[in-house]
Amino acid sequence: MNTHVNSDFTPDALVIGAGIAGLQSALDLADQGLQVLLVERQPSIGGHMIALSKVYPTLDCASCITTPKMSAAAHHPNITILTNTEVEGIETRDEVHHVRLLQKPTYVNFDKCIGCRLCEYACDTEYPDPFEEGLGSVKAIAVPFTNAIPQKAVLNAEVCGTCGSCARVCPTGAIEYDQQPRRLMIRTDAVIVASGFNLNALTVKPQYNAQRSRNIISPLMLERLLAPHGPYGRVLRPSDGKMPSSIAFVQCAGSRDESIGVSYCSRVCCMYAIKQAMLLSGALPLADITIYYMDIRAFGKGYEQFYQNAKAMGINFVRGKVARINPVEDGDLSLHVETTEDAENPLQERRHDLVVLAQGMIPGWQPSATTPVTCSANGFVAAPTLTAPTATTAPGIFVAGTAAGPKDIVDTIAEAGAAAMQASQYLYQKRSAILVG
Amino acid sequence: MTMKTLTPEQKQALATLRSSLGGISEQKRQAQKRLVTARKAIQKFLEAHPATVPQIAAALQMPTDEALWHVTGMRKYGKVAESGEEGDYPLYALVVQEDRVAAAQ
Repeated sequence: MNTHVNSDFTPDALVIGAGIAGLQSALDLADQGLQVLLVERQPSIGGHMIALSKVYPTLDCASCITTPKMSAAAHHPNITILTNTEVEGIETRDEVHHVRLLQKPTYVNFDKCIGCRLCEYACDTEYPDPFEEGLGSVKAIAVPFTNAIPQKAVLNAEVCGTCGSCARVCPTGAIEYDQQPRRLMIRTDAVIVASGFNLNALTVKPQYNAQRSRNIISPLMLERLLAPHGPYGRVLRPSDGKMPSSIAFVQCAGSRDESIGVSYCSRVCCMYAIKQAMLLSGALPLADITIYYMDIRAFGKGYEQFYQNAKAMGINFVRGKVARINPVEDGDLSLHVETTEDAENPLQERRHDLVVLAQGMIPGWQPSATTPVTCSANGFVAAPTLTAPTATTAPGIFVAGTAAGPKDIVDTIAEAGAAAMQASQYLYQKRSAILVG
Repeated sequence: MTMKTLTPEQKQALATLRSSLGGISEQKRQAQKRLVTARKAIQKFLEAHPATVPQIAAALQMPTDEALWHVTGMRKYGKVAESGEEGDYPLYALVVQEDRVAAAQ
Protein backbone atom coordinates (compact mmCIF):
# COMPACT_ATOMS: atom_id res chain seq x y z
CA MET A 1 0.00 0.00 0.00
CA ASN A 2 1.42 3.33 -1.06
CA THR A 3 1.23 5.83 1.82
CA HIS A 4 4.25 8.00 1.10
CA VAL A 5 3.26 11.52 0.19
CA ASN A 6 4.99 14.87 0.33
CA SER A 7 3.98 18.27 -1.02
CA ASP A 8 5.73 17.55 -4.35
CA PHE A 9 3.12 14.90 -5.11
CA THR A 10 0.64 16.16 -7.68
CA PRO A 11 -2.05 13.54 -8.19
CA ASP A 12 -4.52 13.87 -11.06
CA ALA A 13 -7.38 13.69 -8.57
CA LEU A 14 -7.84 13.81 -4.82
CA VAL A 15 -10.74 11.95 -3.21
CA ILE A 16 -11.90 13.11 0.22
CA GLY A 17 -13.24 10.22 2.25
CA ALA A 18 -12.52 6.50 1.89
CA GLY A 19 -15.96 5.10 2.59
CA ILE A 20 -17.74 3.12 -0.08
CA ALA A 21 -18.29 6.24 -2.24
CA GLY A 22 -14.68 7.40 -2.03
CA LEU A 23 -13.34 3.90 -2.66
CA GLN A 24 -15.52 3.42 -5.73
CA SER A 25 -14.60 6.84 -7.15
CA ALA A 26 -10.88 6.28 -6.50
CA LEU A 27 -10.95 2.83 -8.11
CA ASP A 28 -12.85 4.05 -11.17
CA LEU A 29 -10.39 6.91 -11.68
CA ALA A 30 -7.32 4.76 -11.03
CA ASP A 31 -8.52 2.09 -13.47
CA GLN A 32 -8.42 4.79 -16.16
CA GLY A 33 -4.71 5.32 -15.47
CA LEU A 34 -5.14 8.45 -13.36
CA GLN A 35 -3.08 9.00 -10.21
CA VAL A 36 -5.39 9.32 -7.19
CA LEU A 37 -4.75 10.46 -3.63
CA LEU A 38 -7.38 9.03 -1.29
CA VAL A 39 -7.64 10.90 2.03
CA GLU A 40 -9.37 9.45 5.08
CA ARG A 41 -9.67 11.02 8.54
CA GLN A 42 -10.11 7.68 10.35
CA PRO A 43 -7.23 5.25 10.97
CA SER A 44 -8.73 2.76 8.47
CA ILE A 45 -10.47 3.04 5.14
CA GLY A 46 -13.95 1.51 4.75
CA GLY A 47 -16.20 4.19 6.23
CA HIS A 48 -19.51 3.31 7.84
CA MET A 49 -20.13 0.39 5.52
CA ILE A 50 -17.34 -1.80 6.88
CA ALA A 51 -19.08 -1.69 10.28
CA LEU A 52 -22.46 -2.86 8.95
CA SER A 53 -23.68 -6.44 9.32
CA LYS A 54 -25.63 -6.99 6.09
CA VAL A 55 -27.11 -4.89 3.31
CA TYR A 56 -30.68 -4.71 2.05
CA PRO A 57 -32.56 -6.02 0.16
CA THR A 58 -30.22 -8.92 -0.68
CA LEU A 59 -28.97 -9.52 2.88
CA ASP A 60 -25.45 -9.85 1.51
CA CYS A 61 -22.65 -9.52 4.04
CA ALA A 62 -21.55 -5.84 4.09
CA SER A 63 -17.88 -6.57 4.64
CA CYS A 64 -17.92 -9.08 1.76
CA ILE A 65 -18.71 -6.13 -0.51
CA THR A 66 -16.53 -3.51 1.18
CA THR A 67 -13.37 -5.49 1.98
CA PRO A 68 -12.54 -6.38 -1.67
CA LYS A 69 -12.88 -2.70 -2.62
CA MET A 70 -10.70 -1.67 0.34
CA SER A 71 -8.12 -4.23 -0.64
CA ALA A 72 -8.26 -3.28 -4.34
CA ALA A 73 -7.72 0.39 -3.46
CA ALA A 74 -4.87 -0.44 -1.09
CA HIS A 75 -3.07 -2.54 -3.71
CA HIS A 76 -3.80 -0.34 -6.73
CA PRO A 77 -0.59 1.07 -8.23
CA ASN A 78 -2.36 4.35 -9.07
CA ILE A 79 -3.88 4.96 -5.63
CA THR A 80 -2.04 6.51 -2.72
CA ILE A 81 -3.85 6.43 0.63
CA LEU A 82 -3.43 8.80 3.54
CA THR A 83 -5.31 7.74 6.69
CA ASN A 84 -5.63 9.77 9.91
CA THR A 85 -5.64 12.81 7.64
CA GLU A 86 -8.09 15.68 7.53
CA VAL A 87 -8.68 18.26 4.84
CA GLU A 88 -8.18 21.71 6.34
CA GLY A 89 -9.18 23.61 3.24
CA ILE A 90 -9.06 23.96 -0.54
CA GLU A 91 -8.05 27.04 -2.48
CA THR A 92 -8.44 27.16 -6.25
CA ARG A 93 -5.97 29.27 -8.24
CA ASP A 94 -5.67 29.13 -12.04
CA GLU A 95 -7.96 26.09 -12.13
CA VAL A 96 -5.60 24.17 -9.83
CA HIS A 97 -6.89 23.05 -6.44
CA HIS A 98 -4.47 23.53 -3.54
CA VAL A 99 -5.61 21.13 -0.83
CA ARG A 100 -4.33 21.68 2.71
CA LEU A 101 -4.03 18.39 4.62
CA LEU A 102 -3.30 17.67 8.27
CA GLN A 103 -1.95 14.19 8.93
CA LYS A 104 -2.27 13.33 12.60
CA PRO A 105 0.39 11.22 14.31
CA THR A 106 -0.29 7.51 14.84
CA TYR A 107 2.91 7.11 16.91
CA VAL A 108 3.61 3.99 14.84
CA ASN A 109 5.96 3.81 11.87
CA PHE A 110 3.79 2.10 9.25
CA ASP A 111 6.87 0.98 7.30
CA LYS A 112 8.05 -1.01 10.30
CA CYS A 113 4.72 -2.18 11.81
CA ILE A 114 3.86 -5.75 10.79
CA GLY A 115 0.38 -5.75 12.39
CA CYS A 116 1.32 -8.51 14.86
CA ARG A 117 -0.76 -6.83 17.63
CA LEU A 118 1.78 -7.68 20.36
CA CYS A 119 1.64 -4.00 21.41
CA GLU A 120 -2.15 -4.28 21.72
CA TYR A 121 -1.94 -7.40 23.91
CA ALA A 122 0.72 -5.80 26.11
CA CYS A 123 -1.22 -2.56 26.64
CA ASP A 124 -3.10 -2.25 29.96
CA THR A 125 -5.30 0.71 29.04
CA GLU A 126 -8.73 0.22 27.51
CA TYR A 127 -11.43 2.64 26.48
CA PRO A 128 -14.85 2.37 24.74
CA ASP A 129 -14.20 1.20 21.19
CA PRO A 130 -15.36 3.80 18.64
CA PHE A 131 -15.63 1.10 15.94
CA GLU A 132 -18.09 -0.78 18.19
CA GLU A 133 -20.03 2.47 18.80
CA GLY A 134 -18.74 2.46 22.39
CA LEU A 135 -20.25 -0.94 23.21
CA GLY A 136 -16.97 -2.82 23.32
CA SER A 137 -13.52 -1.90 24.48
CA VAL A 138 -10.20 -1.43 22.72
CA LYS A 139 -6.64 -0.94 23.93
CA ALA A 140 -4.94 2.46 23.80
CA ILE A 141 -2.73 1.06 21.03
CA ALA A 142 -4.50 -1.26 18.63
CA VAL A 143 -5.18 -2.23 15.05
CA PRO A 144 -8.52 -0.39 14.65
CA PHE A 145 -10.56 -3.50 13.83
CA THR A 146 -10.13 -7.01 12.44
CA ASN A 147 -10.27 -6.21 8.74
CA ALA A 148 -8.92 -2.67 8.96
CA ILE A 149 -6.75 -1.39 6.13
CA PRO A 150 -3.98 -0.51 6.76
CA GLN A 151 -3.55 -3.41 9.17
CA LYS A 152 -1.30 -1.31 11.39
CA ALA A 153 -1.49 -0.36 15.05
CA VAL A 154 -2.47 3.18 15.99
CA LEU A 155 -1.88 4.75 19.39
CA ASN A 156 -4.58 6.93 20.93
CA ALA A 157 -2.53 9.50 22.81
CA GLU A 158 -5.61 10.90 24.56
CA VAL A 159 -6.02 7.72 26.62
CA CYS A 160 -2.43 6.39 26.59
CA GLY A 161 -0.88 6.02 30.01
CA THR A 162 2.62 6.48 28.47
CA CYS A 163 3.92 3.37 30.24
CA GLY A 164 6.12 2.34 27.31
CA SER A 165 4.91 -1.30 27.20
CA CYS A 166 4.15 -1.15 23.47
CA ALA A 167 7.67 -0.08 22.59
CA ARG A 168 9.10 -2.76 24.88
CA VAL A 169 7.29 -5.60 23.11
CA CYS A 170 7.35 -4.32 19.51
CA PRO A 171 9.57 -6.75 17.58
CA THR A 172 10.35 -4.25 14.82
CA GLY A 173 10.87 -1.02 16.78
CA ALA A 174 7.87 0.58 15.08
CA ILE A 175 6.68 2.70 18.00
CA GLU A 176 7.64 6.35 17.60
CA TYR A 177 6.48 8.46 20.54
CA ASP A 178 7.93 11.59 18.99
CA GLN A 179 5.77 11.65 15.86
CA GLN A 180 4.32 15.08 15.16
CA PRO A 181 1.33 16.25 13.10
CA ARG A 182 2.32 16.84 9.48
CA ARG A 183 0.89 19.51 7.19
CA LEU A 184 0.85 18.98 3.44
CA MET A 185 -0.23 21.11 0.50
CA ILE A 186 -1.29 18.98 -2.44
CA ARG A 187 -1.90 20.43 -5.88
CA THR A 188 -4.42 18.60 -8.03
CA ASP A 189 -6.70 19.25 -10.98
CA ALA A 190 -9.80 17.47 -9.69
CA VAL A 191 -11.33 16.77 -6.29
CA ILE A 192 -14.16 14.41 -5.37
CA VAL A 193 -15.87 15.11 -2.04
CA ALA A 194 -17.07 11.79 -0.60
CA SER A 195 -17.08 12.78 3.04
CA GLY A 196 -20.17 10.76 3.96
CA PHE A 197 -22.62 11.28 6.76
CA ASN A 198 -23.06 11.36 10.51
CA LEU A 199 -26.18 10.58 12.51
CA ASN A 200 -27.66 13.22 14.75
CA ALA A 201 -27.38 12.58 18.49
CA LEU A 202 -29.54 9.97 20.22
CA THR A 203 -30.47 12.72 22.65
CA VAL A 204 -31.67 15.16 19.97
CA LYS A 205 -35.29 14.63 21.05
CA PRO A 206 -35.32 14.97 24.85
CA GLN A 207 -38.76 13.35 25.09
CA TYR A 208 -37.14 10.01 24.12
CA ASN A 209 -34.90 10.11 27.22
CA ALA A 210 -31.92 8.40 25.57
CA GLN A 211 -29.64 9.98 28.17
CA ARG A 212 -31.47 8.05 30.90
CA SER A 213 -31.26 4.53 29.47
CA ARG A 214 -28.48 2.46 27.90
CA ASN A 215 -31.21 0.38 26.25
CA ILE A 216 -32.14 3.15 23.82
CA ILE A 217 -29.62 2.55 21.08
CA SER A 218 -28.67 3.85 17.64
CA PRO A 219 -29.10 1.82 14.45
CA LEU A 220 -25.31 1.71 14.06
CA MET A 221 -25.06 0.16 17.53
CA LEU A 222 -27.55 -2.49 16.46
CA GLU A 223 -25.50 -3.12 13.32
CA ARG A 224 -22.54 -3.93 15.56
CA LEU A 225 -24.69 -6.15 17.80
CA LEU A 226 -25.86 -8.03 14.70
CA ALA A 227 -22.38 -8.32 13.17
CA PRO A 228 -20.82 -11.80 13.44
CA HIS A 229 -17.84 -10.47 15.42
CA GLY A 230 -19.67 -7.70 17.22
CA PRO A 231 -18.81 -6.58 20.74
CA TYR A 232 -20.87 -9.19 22.62
CA GLY A 233 -20.79 -11.96 20.02
CA ARG A 234 -24.60 -11.92 20.05
CA VAL A 235 -27.48 -9.48 20.57
CA LEU A 236 -27.59 -8.34 24.19
CA ARG A 237 -28.94 -5.27 25.98
CA PRO A 238 -26.17 -2.77 26.74
CA SER A 239 -27.54 -2.07 30.23
CA ASP A 240 -27.12 -5.56 31.70
CA GLY A 241 -26.28 -8.17 29.06
CA LYS A 242 -29.81 -9.59 28.86
CA MET A 243 -31.04 -11.22 25.65
CA PRO A 244 -33.86 -8.87 24.65
CA SER A 245 -37.29 -10.38 24.14
CA SER A 246 -39.20 -7.34 22.91
CA ILE A 247 -37.52 -4.84 20.60
CA ALA A 248 -39.01 -1.63 19.21
CA PHE A 249 -37.87 0.44 16.26
CA VAL A 250 -38.96 4.07 16.44
CA GLN A 251 -38.87 5.54 12.94
CA CYS A 252 -38.39 9.21 12.04
CA ALA A 253 -36.78 9.75 15.46
CA GLY A 254 -34.26 12.23 14.09
CA SER A 255 -35.62 13.34 10.73
CA ARG A 256 -38.80 14.77 9.19
CA ASP A 257 -39.00 17.00 12.23
CA GLU A 258 -38.52 20.75 11.93
CA SER A 259 -38.26 21.12 15.71
CA ILE A 260 -34.80 19.51 15.59
CA GLY A 261 -33.70 21.19 12.38
CA VAL A 262 -33.93 18.08 10.19
CA SER A 263 -37.05 18.52 8.12
CA TYR A 264 -36.00 16.15 5.34
CA CYS A 265 -36.40 12.37 5.11
CA SER A 266 -33.21 10.38 5.70
CA ARG A 267 -34.33 7.90 3.00
CA VAL A 268 -32.63 4.80 4.41
CA CYS A 269 -34.21 4.32 7.86
CA CYS A 270 -37.33 2.41 6.74
CA MET A 271 -35.32 -0.14 4.82
CA TYR A 272 -32.50 -0.65 7.35
CA ALA A 273 -35.06 -0.99 10.15
CA ILE A 274 -36.83 -3.72 8.16
CA LYS A 275 -33.47 -5.38 7.46
CA GLN A 276 -32.42 -5.20 11.12
CA ALA A 277 -35.82 -6.53 12.22
CA MET A 278 -35.41 -9.51 9.88
CA LEU A 279 -31.89 -10.18 11.13
CA LEU A 280 -33.07 -9.87 14.74
CA SER A 281 -35.82 -12.37 14.16
CA GLY A 282 -33.12 -14.78 13.01
CA ALA A 283 -30.81 -14.02 15.96
CA LEU A 284 -33.62 -14.02 18.55
CA PRO A 285 -36.38 -16.28 17.13
CA LEU A 286 -38.64 -15.85 20.17
CA ALA A 287 -38.38 -12.06 20.34
CA ASP A 288 -41.32 -9.79 19.63
CA ILE A 289 -40.22 -7.11 17.13
CA THR A 290 -42.27 -3.98 16.43
CA ILE A 291 -41.61 -1.12 14.00
CA TYR A 292 -43.44 2.15 14.80
CA TYR A 293 -43.62 4.14 11.58
CA MET A 294 -45.35 7.12 9.96
CA ASP A 295 -45.15 5.63 6.46
CA ILE A 296 -42.87 3.01 4.93
CA ARG A 297 -40.80 4.41 2.09
CA ALA A 298 -39.81 1.27 0.17
CA PHE A 299 -38.93 2.98 -3.11
CA GLY A 300 -36.06 0.98 -4.61
CA LYS A 301 -35.81 -2.17 -6.68
CA GLY A 302 -37.03 -5.13 -4.64
CA TYR A 303 -37.69 -2.98 -1.57
CA GLU A 304 -41.47 -3.46 -1.47
CA GLN A 305 -41.03 -7.23 -1.69
CA PHE A 306 -38.51 -7.01 1.14
CA TYR A 307 -41.07 -5.13 3.25
CA GLN A 308 -43.76 -7.69 2.48
CA ASN A 309 -41.36 -10.51 3.40
CA ALA A 310 -40.73 -8.86 6.77
CA LYS A 311 -44.47 -8.69 7.45
CA ALA A 312 -44.82 -12.34 6.47
CA MET A 313 -42.03 -13.21 8.93
CA GLY A 314 -44.17 -11.89 11.76
CA ILE A 315 -42.58 -8.49 12.35
CA ASN A 316 -45.21 -6.10 13.73
CA PHE A 317 -45.67 -2.83 11.87
CA VAL A 318 -47.61 -0.23 13.86
CA ARG A 319 -48.56 2.96 12.06
CA GLY A 320 -48.30 5.84 14.47
CA LYS A 321 -45.91 8.16 16.23
CA VAL A 322 -44.03 7.55 19.46
CA ALA A 323 -44.47 10.66 21.57
CA ARG A 324 -42.42 9.77 24.62
CA ILE A 325 -40.16 7.01 25.96
CA ASN A 326 -39.75 6.53 29.69
CA PRO A 327 -37.30 4.19 31.38
CA VAL A 328 -39.12 1.86 33.82
CA GLU A 329 -38.03 -0.92 36.17
CA ASP A 330 -35.66 -3.73 35.10
CA GLY A 331 -34.15 -1.53 32.39
CA ASP A 332 -37.32 -1.77 30.30
CA LEU A 333 -38.82 1.12 28.37
CA SER A 334 -42.37 2.39 28.24
CA LEU A 335 -43.41 3.86 24.87
CA HIS A 336 -46.33 6.28 24.62
CA VAL A 337 -47.68 5.80 21.11
CA GLU A 338 -50.39 7.48 19.14
CA THR A 339 -51.50 4.99 16.53
CA THR A 340 -53.87 5.35 13.60
CA GLU A 341 -54.61 1.63 13.59
CA ASP A 342 -56.95 1.55 16.58
CA ALA A 343 -59.65 4.23 16.32
CA GLU A 344 -61.15 3.40 19.72
CA ASN A 345 -57.86 3.41 21.57
CA PRO A 346 -55.38 5.62 19.66
CA LEU A 347 -53.21 6.51 22.67
CA GLN A 348 -51.40 3.44 23.88
CA GLU A 349 -48.59 2.60 26.26
CA ARG A 350 -46.37 -0.28 25.18
CA ARG A 351 -43.42 -1.85 26.90
CA HIS A 352 -40.19 -3.09 25.30
CA ASP A 353 -36.78 -4.03 26.64
CA LEU A 354 -34.69 -2.55 23.82
CA VAL A 355 -35.48 0.47 21.61
CA VAL A 356 -33.71 1.49 18.39
CA LEU A 357 -34.11 5.14 17.39
CA ALA A 358 -33.93 5.88 13.66
CA GLN A 359 -31.67 8.92 13.86
CA GLY A 360 -31.45 11.46 11.10
CA MET A 361 -28.67 11.51 8.54
CA ILE A 362 -26.64 14.72 8.66
CA PRO A 363 -23.51 15.77 6.72
CA GLY A 364 -20.21 14.22 7.82
CA TRP A 365 -18.32 17.38 6.85
CA GLN A 366 -19.41 20.84 5.84
CA PRO A 367 -16.86 22.09 3.32
CA SER A 368 -18.43 25.48 2.58
CA ALA A 369 -16.37 27.36 5.20
CA THR A 370 -12.95 26.18 3.99
CA THR A 371 -13.42 25.31 0.32
CA PRO A 372 -15.01 26.91 -2.76
CA VAL A 373 -17.87 24.39 -2.52
CA THR A 374 -21.24 25.71 -1.38
CA CYS A 375 -23.72 23.74 0.69
CA SER A 376 -27.49 23.74 0.73
CA ALA A 377 -29.53 24.92 3.71
CA ASN A 378 -29.42 21.46 5.29
CA GLY A 379 -25.61 21.38 5.12
CA PHE A 380 -25.11 18.84 2.33
CA VAL A 381 -23.01 19.76 -0.70
CA ALA A 382 -25.20 21.61 -3.17
CA ALA A 383 -25.42 20.65 -6.84
CA PRO A 384 -25.88 23.62 -9.21
CA THR A 385 -28.51 21.81 -11.31
CA LEU A 386 -30.73 18.79 -10.89
CA THR A 387 -29.34 17.30 -14.09
CA ALA A 388 -25.77 17.17 -12.76
CA PRO A 389 -26.04 15.56 -9.32
CA THR A 390 -22.29 14.98 -8.97
CA ALA A 391 -21.27 18.54 -9.89
CA THR A 392 -20.68 21.25 -7.30
CA THR A 393 -20.67 25.01 -7.58
CA ALA A 394 -16.86 24.88 -7.92
CA PRO A 395 -15.47 23.74 -11.32
CA GLY A 396 -13.27 20.67 -10.97
CA ILE A 397 -14.74 19.68 -7.61
CA PHE A 398 -17.30 16.88 -7.65
CA VAL A 399 -19.39 15.17 -5.00
CA ALA A 400 -20.45 11.57 -4.44
CA GLY A 401 -22.58 9.64 -1.99
CA THR A 402 -24.13 10.91 1.20
CA ALA A 403 -21.98 14.06 1.18
CA ALA A 404 -24.60 15.33 -1.29
CA GLY A 405 -27.61 14.15 0.70
CA PRO A 406 -29.11 11.04 2.28
CA LYS A 407 -29.05 7.98 0.05
CA ASP A 408 -28.57 4.24 0.31
CA ILE A 409 -25.55 2.14 -0.63
CA VAL A 410 -26.83 1.21 -4.10
CA ASP A 411 -27.34 4.84 -5.07
CA THR A 412 -24.07 5.85 -3.39
CA ILE A 413 -22.02 3.40 -5.45
CA ALA A 414 -23.78 4.41 -8.68
CA GLU A 415 -23.21 8.09 -7.91
CA ALA A 416 -19.55 7.49 -7.01
CA GLY A 417 -19.01 5.94 -10.44
CA ALA A 418 -20.73 8.91 -12.05
CA ALA A 419 -18.57 11.38 -10.10
CA ALA A 420 -15.44 9.55 -11.22
CA MET A 421 -16.56 9.74 -14.87
CA GLN A 422 -17.39 13.45 -14.52
CA ALA A 423 -13.95 14.07 -12.98
CA SER A 424 -12.08 12.13 -15.66
CA GLN A 425 -14.04 13.90 -18.40
CA TYR A 426 -13.17 17.24 -16.79
CA LEU A 427 -9.49 16.29 -16.64
CA TYR A 428 -9.51 15.10 -20.26
CA GLN A 429 -11.15 18.33 -21.49
CA LYS A 430 -8.84 20.51 -19.41
CA ARG A 431 -5.71 18.76 -20.63
CA SER A 432 -6.94 18.64 -24.24
CA ALA A 433 -7.49 22.39 -24.09
CA ILE A 434 -3.95 22.89 -22.79
CA LEU A 435 -2.52 20.74 -25.59
CA VAL A 436 -4.55 22.52 -28.28
CA GLY A 437 -3.93 25.96 -26.79
CA MET B 1 8.47 -12.61 22.91
CA THR B 2 10.68 -10.60 25.17
CA MET B 3 10.08 -7.33 26.99
CA LYS B 4 12.95 -5.12 25.87
CA THR B 5 14.18 -2.13 27.80
CA LEU B 6 13.56 1.25 26.26
CA THR B 7 16.50 3.01 24.65
CA PRO B 8 17.45 6.45 25.97
CA GLU B 9 15.95 7.96 22.81
CA GLN B 10 12.66 6.13 23.36
CA LYS B 11 12.59 7.24 27.02
CA GLN B 12 13.18 10.82 25.94
CA ALA B 13 10.43 10.60 23.28
CA LEU B 14 8.04 9.08 25.80
CA ALA B 15 8.77 11.90 28.26
CA THR B 16 8.16 14.44 25.50
CA LEU B 17 4.84 12.81 24.61
CA ARG B 18 3.84 12.71 28.29
CA SER B 19 4.59 16.41 28.74
CA SER B 20 2.83 17.30 25.47
CA LEU B 21 -0.26 15.61 26.90
CA GLY B 22 0.07 17.75 30.01
CA GLY B 23 1.37 14.88 32.10
CA ILE B 24 -0.72 11.99 33.36
CA SER B 25 -3.77 13.57 34.93
CA GLU B 26 -5.16 12.35 38.24
CA GLN B 27 -8.39 11.52 36.41
CA LYS B 28 -6.53 9.27 33.96
CA ARG B 29 -4.58 7.65 36.80
CA GLN B 30 -7.77 6.92 38.72
CA ALA B 31 -9.54 5.56 35.63
CA GLN B 32 -6.65 3.18 35.00
CA LYS B 33 -6.66 2.10 38.64
CA ARG B 34 -10.42 1.42 38.49
CA LEU B 35 -9.99 -0.59 35.29
CA VAL B 36 -7.23 -2.80 36.70
CA THR B 37 -9.06 -3.27 40.02
CA ALA B 38 -12.34 -4.20 38.32
CA ARG B 39 -10.69 -6.66 35.95
CA LYS B 40 -8.84 -8.38 38.79
CA ALA B 41 -12.02 -8.57 40.87
CA ILE B 42 -14.03 -10.05 37.98
CA GLN B 43 -11.27 -12.55 37.28
CA LYS B 44 -11.18 -13.62 40.92
CA PHE B 45 -14.98 -13.90 41.11
CA LEU B 46 -15.13 -16.04 37.96
CA GLU B 47 -12.46 -18.39 39.30
CA ALA B 48 -15.15 -19.91 41.54
CA HIS B 49 -17.83 -20.50 38.91
CA PRO B 50 -19.27 -19.02 35.69
CA ALA B 51 -21.64 -16.09 36.22
CA THR B 52 -24.00 -13.77 34.39
CA VAL B 53 -23.41 -10.03 34.13
CA PRO B 54 -26.01 -9.16 36.82
CA GLN B 55 -24.41 -11.74 39.16
CA ILE B 56 -20.96 -10.25 38.58
CA ALA B 57 -22.31 -6.74 39.10
CA ALA B 58 -24.12 -7.68 42.31
CA ALA B 59 -21.11 -9.48 43.75
CA LEU B 60 -18.70 -6.65 42.97
CA GLN B 61 -21.20 -3.85 43.65
CA MET B 62 -20.77 -2.20 40.29
CA PRO B 63 -23.39 -1.05 37.76
CA THR B 64 -24.50 -3.81 35.39
CA ASP B 65 -23.58 -1.83 32.26
CA GLU B 66 -20.06 -1.36 33.62
CA ALA B 67 -19.78 -5.08 34.42
CA LEU B 68 -20.90 -5.90 30.86
CA TRP B 69 -18.31 -3.53 29.42
CA HIS B 70 -15.53 -5.19 31.43
CA VAL B 71 -16.70 -8.68 30.48
CA THR B 72 -16.84 -7.60 26.82
CA GLY B 73 -13.24 -6.41 26.98
CA MET B 74 -12.10 -9.58 28.76
CA ARG B 75 -13.92 -11.69 26.18
CA LYS B 76 -12.32 -9.77 23.30
CA TYR B 77 -8.84 -10.34 24.65
CA GLY B 78 -9.39 -14.02 25.48
CA LYS B 79 -9.72 -13.82 29.27
CA VAL B 80 -13.34 -15.00 29.51
CA ALA B 81 -15.68 -16.95 27.23
CA GLU B 82 -19.37 -17.75 27.14
CA SER B 83 -20.27 -21.03 28.85
CA GLY B 84 -24.01 -21.47 28.44
CA GLU B 85 -27.01 -19.46 29.56
CA GLU B 86 -28.95 -18.88 32.75
CA GLY B 87 -32.44 -17.57 32.11
CA ASP B 88 -32.19 -14.61 29.73
CA TYR B 89 -28.49 -14.07 30.40
CA PRO B 90 -25.34 -15.68 28.99
CA LEU B 91 -22.91 -17.15 31.49
CA TYR B 92 -19.26 -16.13 31.36
CA ALA B 93 -16.39 -18.33 32.52
CA LEU B 94 -12.72 -17.70 32.93
CA VAL B 95 -10.52 -19.03 30.13
CA VAL B 96 -7.88 -21.22 31.70
CA GLN B 97 -4.80 -20.12 29.84
CA GLU B 98 -2.15 -17.50 30.09
CA ASP B 99 -2.94 -14.16 28.52
CA ARG B 100 -2.22 -13.56 24.85
CA VAL B 101 1.15 -11.92 25.42
CA ALA B 102 2.33 -14.82 27.58
CA ALA B 103 0.84 -17.31 25.14
CA ALA B 104 2.81 -15.71 22.34
CA GLN B 105 6.09 -16.16 24.21
